[in-house]
Amino acid sequence: MIDWFTDPYQTEFMRNAAVMAILVGVLAPTVGVWVVLRRLAYLGDAMSHGTLAGVAAAYLTGISITLGALAAGVVMGLLVAVFDRQRRLGHDSAIGVAETLMFATGIILISRNDRIGVDLTHYLFGQIVTTSTNDIIVNSALTAVALAIVVVAFDDLRNVTFDPGHAQQVGIPVGPLRLVLIALISITVVVSLGTVGLLMSVAMLITPAATARLLTNRIETMTALAITVGVTSAIAGLTISYHLATPPGPTIALVTVAWFAGATIASLRSGQSGIGSRPPRPAEPAGCL
Amino acid sequence: MNDVGGRSCGHPVLRLVGVTVTYPPATTVLDDVSFQVLPGELVAVVGPNGAGKSTLFKAISGLVAHDGIVELGGTHCHHQRDRLEAAYIPQRTDLDHDFPITVGQLVLAGRRRFLRLGQRPGQRHRLAADEALERVGLADLRRRPLSTLSGGQTQRALLARALAQEAHLILLDEALSGVDQPRTEDLLDLFTDLARSGTSLLVATHDLSLARRRFARCLAINGGLVGDGPPEVALDADRIEATFGSSIVGSRGSTG
Repeated sequence: MIDWFTDPYQTEFMRNAAVMAILVGVLAPTVGVWVVLRRLAYLGDAMSHGTLAGVAAAYLTGISITLGALAAGVVMGLLVAVFDRQRRLGHDSAIGVAETLMFATGIILISRNDRIGVDLTHYLFGQIVTTSTNDIIVNSALTAVALAIVVVAFDDLRNVTFDPGHAQQVGIPVGPLRLVLIALISITVVVSLGTVGLLMSVAMLITPAATARLLTNRIETMTALAITVGVTSAIAGLTISYHLATPPGPTIALVTVAWFAGATIASLRSGQSGIGSRPPRPAEPAGCL
Repeated sequence: MNDVGGRSCGHPVLRLVGVTVTYPPATTVLDDVSFQVLPGELVAVVGPNGAGKSTLFKAISGLVAHDGIVELGGTHCHHQRDRLEAAYIPQRTDLDHDFPITVGQLVLAGRRRFLRLGQRPGQRHRLAADEALERVGLADLRRRPLSTLSGGQTQRALLARALAQEAHLILLDEALSGVDQPRTEDLLDLFTDLARSGTSLLVATHDLSLARRRFARCLAINGGLVGDGPPEVALDADRIEATFGSSIVGSRGSTG
């Protein structure tokens, strides 16, 4: 039985893959906690799709894929902020339009150059087993920066998320914190590129945090549980994909959903979900930055 | 009458001169509002839904742009940092009741004005938060999730956050809505005690009978300041009609 877990990791490329899986398993759920609490799951999904434009542009111009993806995240955040100024539109509409622009641009850029099509598939669906030592160094640095930001801003993120009006009153930089959260989502998508891929990065961003939210009423505990779900899903998914010869990214994503299903059943049994007794949601619409 | 409202001596905690709030493109929701509040005053801000009560509080707190002058503690408020003496407590429906935050963490948020970015609150701040919880009678609930509190307890916790902030002016938006009658009276007693200790409180309500019974001063609001004074003056028949419309005049004791 032990061999089933250890056999896949006899080779260096699988050990590198495991390190990348752990990085994503720690980072994405940590950022995902705030995405879930602020009900920004759609923004996270849209940003992962919108990053395609940056990745494709980086391919065509020969610059770093990481830089291209980060730049696309920044552009996406700015676009949402600009579109959001239209008071007649909901936040979800602003996000949807920005996503459409960036994703469509990415697809068109790909279609203009046959050479990049196959390689880009790796970024769309993840290609964790091709992880190099350089990938690990870059993504470790990005992960460390993102985690440090979350640790420093933890209390402020909590206060802004619960009551942005009061946060503004007591001097918390509410506007800059919104940009910080967008930057964190962007970094998470970049780190997820090579593992679960653009199209499934939202799985690691949202599902572990959503699973943890079902099980606890403390953000600190929620973060710890989300990381646990993220890391175990990443490693279990990678191991399963080795034995079943399935694509690692989608396999990891499905393991996170299995965790979520288990947490849903557990919370229903313990009555923690509050189904039927939950008071009305706040007036602010979902997806509000 | 179990009120406070006897106006104390001293400089105003709050002074508004010609405050006007216009939402784009050109909807004026508050027009040319001027009044002042003295230390220790307990004031009801009365008006129907949509009258501009919340907008008034947000203008004072700097949460919406406005024309005119807002002075807090004698300081003309140009920047957000000039408004730290005011604490706005939103309607409970504006907050996520399920949000994972403990009562203690909520109250500690009031101490953020004394901290730098990333600085953790030390012992001094924790003691101040505990003291605030003690004042509102929630000392035993510090570790409880906010989501497990009743409506009245939630209002007390939010009040404790304002006290931890060391705000001299507390703006309570529909704080008594959805709170049962005994807890409403308890909360009003607490407001009264806080006012006696020197904190000024503005309490938005559309409950006319409550305003008449428990407040010495009322501000009638409907897109502007319709009345200001004791209930018998600010809420007389003419001003009630101007504030709520003619249908309410015949039922003077009812809720608007």
